[in-house]
Amino acid sequence: MIFDTLQQQVEEILARYPVKRSAILPLLNMAQEQEGYVSESAMREIAKILDLTPPQVFETVTFYTMFHLKPIGKFHLQVCKSLMCALVGSDDVVGWIQKKLGIATGQTTPDNTFTLSVVECLGSCGTGPMMQVNDDYYEQLSEEKVGRILDDLKRDGICSLKTGPFMYPQPLAK
Amino acid sequence: MAQYEKILLNNMEQPGYTGSLPDYERAGGYQALRTVLKDMQPDQVIEVVKKSGLRGRGGAGFPTGVKWGFIPKDHPGPIYLCCNADESEPGTFKDRQLMERDPHQMLEGMAITCFAIGAQTSYIYIRGEFRLGAKILERAIQEASTAGYLGDNVLGSGLTINIFVHQGAGAYICGEETALLESLEGKRGLPRFKPPFPATHGLYQKPTVVNNVETMANIPHIINRGGEWFASIGSPPKSCGTRVFCLSGHVKRPGNYEVPMGIPFRELIYDLGGGMRSDKPLKAFIPGGASAPFLTPEHLDVKMDFESVALAGSMLGSGGVTVMEEGTNMVWATLRLTEFFYHESCGKCTPCREGTSWLVQTLQRIWGKRGRPEDIGVLEELCGNIAGRTVCAFGEALVGPILSTIKHWRHEYEALIQEAQGTRPAGKELLVFTH
Amino acid sequence: MATTNETQTDLVTLTIDGKSARVPKGTLVIEAARQVGVMIPHFCYHPKLSPDANCRMCLVEIEKIPRLQTSCSTPVTEGMVVKSANSDQVQAARKSVLDFILANHPLDCPVCDQGGRCDLQDFSHEYTATTSRFIELKRVFQKEYFSPVIETQMNRCVQCLRCVRYCDQVMDVKALAPVGRGTLTEIKSFGAHELDCEFCGGCIQICPVGAITSRLSMYEFRPWMLKRTDSICGYCGDGCQITFQTKNNDLIEVNSTHGAGRNNGDLCARGYFGYHVSVHPDRLTSPLIRENDDFQPVQWEEALELVARRLSEIKATHGPDAIGGLITGRCTNEDVYVFQKFMRGVIGTNHIDSSVRYGHLNGVRALQRVQGTHQWTVSFEDILAADVLLLVGTNVTETNPISGLKVKEAVKRRGAQLMTIEALEPAIGAISNIVNLSRHHFGVKPDAYAAAILGILKAVLDQQAVDPEIRTKASDYFNDIAAQLEAISWSVIEGETGITASAYKEAAETFAKGQKVVILAGPGVLRTSGGFGMMMNLLDLLLITGKLTKRGCGLAPLAEENNDQGTFEMGGVGDVLPGGKPSRDGEARKALSQAWGCPVPDSAGASLPQMIEAARKGQLKALYIVGENPLGSLPPSSGIQEALEKLEFLVCQELFLTETAKNAHVVLPACSYAEKDGTVTNTEGHLQAVRRAIDPVGESRPDWEVFSALSVLMDNSMEYVDVKEIGKEIHNLLPGTRTLGPGPLPSKPDPSAIARYVSSEYKQDLGSRYRMTSCAPSPSDQMTLMISQSLFHSGKFSLKAKGLMQLESEGKLYLHPDEAARRGLGDGDRVKVLNRLGEMSTTVSLRERIPHGMAVFPEHFDQEMRRLLPYAVDPETQVPYYRLTEVRIEKVTAS
Ligand SMILES: Cc1cc2nc3c(=O)[nH]c(=O)nc-3n(C[C@H](O)[C@H](O)[C@H](O)COP(=O)(O)O)c2cc1C
Ligand code: SF4
Ligand code: FES
Repeated sequence: MIFDTLQQQVEEILARYPVKRSAILPLLNMAQEQEGYVSESAMREIAKILDLTPPQVFETVTFYTMFHLKPIGKFHLQVCKSLMCALVGSDDVVGWIQKKLGIATGQTTPDNTFTLSVVECLGSCGTGPMMQVNDDYYEQLSEEKVGRILDDLKRDGICSLKTGPFMYPQPLAK
Repeated sequence: MAQYEKILLNNMEQPGYTGSLPDYERAGGYQALRTVLKDMQPDQVIEVVKKSGLRGRGGAGFPTGVKWGFIPKDHPGPIYLCCNADESEPGTFKDRQLMERDPHQMLEGMAITCFAIGAQTSYIYIRGEFRLGAKILERAIQEASTAGYLGDNVLGSGLTINIFVHQGAGAYICGEETALLESLEGKRGLPRFKPPFPATHGLYQKPTVVNNVETMANIPHIINRGGEWFASIGSPPKSCGTRVFCLSGHVKRPGNYEVPMGIPFRELIYDLGGGMRSDKPLKAFIPGGASAPFLTPEHLDVKMDFESVALAGSMLGSGGVTVMEEGTNMVWATLRLTEFFYHESCGKCTPCREGTSWLVQTLQRIWGKRGRPEDIGVLEELCGNIAGRTVCAFGEALVGPILSTIKHWRHEYEALIQEAQGTRPAGKELLVFTH
Repeated sequence: MATTNETQTDLVTLTIDGKSARVPKGTLVIEAARQVGVMIPHFCYHPKLSPDANCRMCLVEIEKIPRLQTSCSTPVTEGMVVKSANSDQVQAARKSVLDFILANHPLDCPVCDQGGRCDLQDFSHEYTATTSRFIELKRVFQKEYFSPVIETQMNRCVQCLRCVRYCDQVMDVKALAPVGRGTLTEIKSFGAHELDCEFCGGCIQICPVGAITSRLSMYEFRPWMLKRTDSICGYCGDGCQITFQTKNNDLIEVNSTHGAGRNNGDLCARGYFGYHVSVHPDRLTSPLIRENDDFQPVQWEEALELVARRLSEIKATHGPDAIGGLITGRCTNEDVYVFQKFMRGVIGTNHIDSSVRYGHLNGVRALQRVQGTHQWTVSFEDILAADVLLLVGTNVTETNPISGLKVKEAVKRRGAQLMTIEALEPAIGAISNIVNLSRHHFGVKPDAYAAAILGILKAVLDQQAVDPEIRTKASDYFNDIAAQLEAISWSVIEGETGITASAYKEAAETFAKGQKVVILAGPGVLRTSGGFGMMMNLLDLLLITGKLTKRGCGLAPLAEENNDQGTFEMGGVGDVLPGGKPSRDGEARKALSQAWGCPVPDSAGASLPQMIEAARKGQLKALYIVGENPLGSLPPSSGIQEALEKLEFLVCQELFLTETAKNAHVVLPACSYAEKDGTVTNTEGHLQAVRRAIDPVGESRPDWEVFSALSVLMDNSMEYVDVKEIGKEIHNLLPGTRTLGPGPLPSKPDPSAIARYVSSEYKQDLGSRYRMTSCAPSPSDQMTLMISQSLFHSGKFSLKAKGLMQLESEGKLYLHPDEAARRGLGDGDRVKVLNRLGEMSTTVSLRERIPHGMAVFPEHFDQEMRRLLPYAVDPETQVPYYRLTEVRIEKVTAS
C-alpha cells in the first residue's frame, strides 16, 4: 500500500482542509509521484482515506490531464502547442523530438525513457517554444537545445538548461 | 521611451533580489500588514481598496473592494479567501513571475485581504504544472509563519491567518472561480451556476472571495501608499493602477511589462517589445488573452484600459497581448485557439461541450481545404448559439477569436474554401481527439 | 406547520406565458410553470435532484434580465414575467440546444428501448428541423460490459448527469462516475470494472434518453406495445407502487413513476429487477395430489374435494383444534381475511398464524400494549420531517430500502440527526450503509442491542432529560424504571456494549432535545432474542422523554413482508380478530359471529411454534399452509421437519413446490401478486391496491377463491363475486378502518391504554426487560454468525427471480477483511463453518462494514446454514428466534 509509509504526509495534507475530500488532488499527486501513474489500487486507497467510493476518485482523476492511468516513460516531454507557442515554432519542436527519438506524439521510447505529448498552454508564452519535462520547464527551445536536453536527461537524469524562477525579460543592467 | 514607475515588478528587478523574506522585508515588506493590524478596522481596509479603484486582474475586472464588501458582515464563519493562481489563459504568464520572484508580495496581500474579509483560512489554487511556483510559495509561507506574519496570532494581534498551497492537476477551467472552488473541494472542476455567488456560497458553501495573484500583489502597495495614490495611476476612474502585460508572439522582446493602464498598444508592442520580430508588418493582435477577440493594426492606438479595449470590440481580459505578423493565417490561428477550447471545455453544459467539438471539426475541415461555402455561416451561427447560453463565461470566451477573425479576415476563410471547391469535395476527415 | 397567515405571505405571484401563477416563495420557475400548465422542456432537471442547469434546454426569457435564464435553477420572485413558448428567442435557443445534442447522438431510435418514451425524441419532434447541418464525425464510445442487468449505450448520453446525481443524492451509493472531460465524458463505474451497486434501477428510470436501459427487457418491446398496470411490489413491507408493463400477457418490465406511491417512484433491486418471479418456469400450474412418493396433477374439483373431505374428517374425529392454518404476509388483505374466516368460521379453530409471527408481531404487540394501537403513529412523511431519528437493528437499506431512502433524505437534505444502534461498522461499500450518515453510532454486537437501549435510557435519566409530567403523574412507573436502571451500573453497560457512558449521554441529550423523534426498529430488534422487551423499552424511552404522544414522534417497527401489517389487522394471527381485538374478547367475538352468521371459536389460537409442538405431540393433525415455507425458513432445531412428518394431512397453497410443499398431501397452485387484485397494507399502515397485470399462470387461482370454494364444499358457504365484495365486508365489519387514499392517516396513541400501562401493566415484565443479560464473550477462535436479509432477495421467494439471481446467486460468508486476514482467509476462500449443531461449507467474501468477530450470511440461501442455528421462542409473543449463533471457521484446503 503506497500510503502506508506516507502516513505523516497524509495527515499533514488532511489537516489543511475542513472537508477530507479536498485532499484528493494532493493525494493523487503523491500517488503519481510514487508510482509514476495513478494505479487502481492507489485510487482505492485514496477512496478509503477520504471516505469516498472508488468511482468518485476515478471521475476526479479523469477530469485532470496531468494524471496518467497507465505507466509512461521516465521523462514526460510535454510540448506546448497552443497558439502563442505555435507562432514561434512549437510544431518544429515536436518534429525535432520525433526525429531524434523516433517516436510519434503519444508514444514512449522502447527503453521507457521518454514519452512525448503535446499539451495546451503551460503559461510561458513569452518564452516559447517551450516544453515541460516532468516538473521542469525548458524555454526558448532551439533544435540544438532540445538535443542537449534529451541527451543530458538520458545520460544524467538531469539537465542544467531547465529554467526558473521565472522573469522575462531580464532587467537590463542599470 | 517613456519610463514608468513599477509597482509589482519593482522589487524583483533590483539586482540581487531573491524574493526571500529578508529581501522582501528590506524592501519594506510586511509594513502594510503591520499597519492594517495596528491601525485599521476591516471596513477601513475595504474602503481604501474601494477608493483605489483596483479591479481584478484575473480577467473579468470586477472591482476588488466591492467584491470584498459582498462578504456578509458578522458571519459566524468560516469565511475563505482563495487566491486564483491557475494562470492558464493562453498568452498569460504574469502570475508565474509574481509568484516565483516575489512570493511575499502576494502573501502579504492575502494576509491583508484575510483580515479585511474576516477569513482565517486561505488557499492558493496554483495550476499543477507550476511545480516550481508551488515550492517557492510553500517555502515563503514557511518563512512568513516563522516570522509571525502568518499562522496563529499574527504579529501578536490574536488573529489566525493560515495560507495553504493547493495544486491543480491540469484543467484550464479551474481558473473559473466556481470551478476552482469545486476543484478545491476535491471534485471535478465543473463551474457552478450562479447565483448564488461565492461571496455568500463559496468554498464548502461558505462566504468566499476569489482573487487573482496580481490583484493580491497590489494590496500591500495600496495600503502603504493610499487608495488615492493608486487611483491616480493609469486611466482613472475606471482603469486605475498598473498592469503586468504579457507580450508574446512575433515581437522582438516578448515578456512581462508593467505599465500604467491606458498606454496605447503601439507603445507596448513597438517601444517596449521592440517591434516585430522580422521585417513583416503586424497583421493582428490579441489584446487580453486567448478569450479576447482579435484586433487589427488599425487598433494599435487604442488605449490599454478596460473601456477603450471594450469599445474597440475586444477586452483587456487577463493582460496577455499576442502579436501576429503578416503571413500568419488567421484560420489557422483560430483553429489553434479553438482546439484549446475544445480540449478544455469541461463538458458540463451542452452548447459549449457540443459546440466546441463541432467548431473544431468545422475549422479543421476548412483549414484542411475541405470546407464548404456554407461553413462560415455555420461557424457564425454556432457561436451565436453558444455565447450567452452557457453556465460559465467560457462560452463567451471561445467564440471571441472565431467571430473576430471572420469579421476581419473573412476572405481568408473564403480563400481556403474556394481552394477546397477546386480540389476535392467536402468530405469527412478523421479527427484525433487528444484527451 | 405554517399557519394560514404565514402561508399567504409566503406566496409569490408571477406570470408565465401570460398565465398568472401563485406559488410558494422559493419555487423554481420550471415548477411554477408546470403548475399553470406550461411545460418547459428539460433534460437535466428533476424535482428529486438539486438543480445542475447543465443541459440549457429549459431557458426562458425573464423580463428585466438581459440574458435567457435556466428556469430549472431560477427561483420565482414577486411580479416576475416569464416567457417560454411565447418567446421567439427562447424557441430558437431550445432549437439550438437540440441541434447540439443531436450532433453527437447516434439517432439509433429504431433499436433503442427508450424510443417512443424519450425526451430527446419528443423535444426534437417539437422543436427541430429534420435536417441538421452537422456533417462532422460523431463521437463514438467503445462499448464496455456494464453489468448483468443494466446496460449503457453512452453514444446516446446527453450528459445531463441525472443518473450520477440520483445515485449520489437519493441513493447515497455513488457508483456512477462521469469519466473524462468535455464531449468525451461518459458514465462508467470504476475503471473498466463492471458496475457494483445497489441496482435500484434508478439510473435507468431517471435517464431521459436511452443511454441506460435494463438488460432484462432489452429489445423485447416498443413502449407503445406495453400495457400498464399500477400495483404494489410484493417484496417488502415498504409497499412501493410499481407499474407492471406487459405485452401479450407477458411481464416485460416494472417501473415506478416519480410522484407515485409511498416510494415516490424510487425502487430497490427487488422491486425493479425481481418481477420475473411470477413467470418462472417452475410455477405450479395445476393442483397436485400425492400418490405414494409422487405428485399427480389433477383437476381443481378433485383436489378441492379431497381437501374438503380430509379436513371435515379430521375435524369430525379430532375436533376443530386438530387443524391449524398458516398464511404468508405476502397475501392480500382479502386473502388473509377470507382465510381466517375460513379457519374460524368453517373449521372452527383459532389456530391461525402467519409470517407476522417471525418478528413483526413483537412490534405490533408492544405498540398495542403501551399505546393501545397496533399501527405506526408516524408515517414516511414524519421520517422526512424528523429532527432526530433513532435506528435500532434495522440494517434498513437491505431490509426496507425505501424506508432507508426516507432516512437518507431526512439526514442528507433536511438535516435530521441520525442515531444508530446497529452491528454494522461505518464503511463505504457498493451498497449504501446507513451508519455512515450517523451522528451517534453505537456499533454493538447484535446480542447487545438490548444493553445499548438500556444505556440510552439510563443516560436519559442521568441527564434528567425526563418529561416532568410523567415524573409526577406516573411516579410509580417512573420510579420503578429509575430503580431498575439505577441497579445497572455504567461499567456493566460499557462492558457489554463497548460504548462509553459519555457517548450514551451525548446521544441521550440529542434524543431528548429532538422535537420530532422517530425510532425505527428492524429485524435486529424484532427477530432477535428479547425482541419484545426491546420494543417495550423503546416505548418507555419515548414515554419517559414525553414524546410518545407528541405529533411527529413514534416508534415504527419495520415490516418485513409486503403485507405483514395487513395480515395482522385482518386477523392472520390466531389470538387476534380482524381489527386487532383479542380473540378472547367476548364482545368482539359476538359482533364478528353476528356479522358472519356463524360461531367464532373462543379458544386461544396456537402460534406457529405451538402448532409445531402440537403436531410433534400428535395433537395437531392437519395443517393448511398458504404461501409459507416453514421448512425453508425455520432451523431444524425448531422441530419443524418432525412436525410436518407427523401430520395426517398437509395442504400447501403455493406458487412453487417449496421444501414444505414437497411434504404436502395436496398442493394447490396460487396466483402471484402480478395476477390478482386486492389490497395490501404497508409498514406505515397505508392501504394500497394490488392489480392484476397478467392472467393467472396455468390453472392457478387467487388464494381467496380457493378458500371460498372450499367453504362451499364444506357446507358453510362464504361466496364472493370479487375482491371488492370482500373489501366491502371488511369495511362494514371494521368501520373506520383504512381506505385507499394518497397517504396513511397514522393512528394516535390511546391515552387510556397509556394510563393503564403506566399504572399497572408495565409491571408485568419490568424485571425481565430491565435486566442485563450478559452475552458471554465468545472464545477467541469462535465468532458470532448472524443471518441477515440481503438487498437482492426476500425470503426464498426471490430466488426464482432471474434478475435477482444474476445479482446474487449464492450465499457467501461475509467477514471484515482484517478479521479474515487474522484467520488467514482471503476473498473467495472456501471455508467450513461449524458448531455443535452442524456444519456447512461456503465461500468467504470481504466487507468492511462487518464488525470484527462477526460473520454474516444471507438467510435466503442454503438449508445447511440453518442447521447451525439454535432456536428459542419469546415467552411473551411466541416469536421464534434463530438469527444468531456462535461458530468456528476453518479454511478448506483444496485436496
Ligand atoms: C474560463 C475562465 C477561466 C479563467 N481563468 C482564470 C485564471 O486562470 N486566473 C485568474 O485569476 N482568473 C481566471 N478567471 C477569472 C476568474 O473566474 C475570476 O474572475 C477571478 O479569479 C477573480 O479574481 P480577480 O477579481 O482578482 O480578477 C477565469 C474565468 C473564466 C470564465
Ligand atoms: S461553458 Fe463550457 S466550460 Fe463553462 S460550464 Fe459550460 S461546458 Fe463547462
Ligand atoms: S433543465 Fe435547466 S438546464 Fe437542464
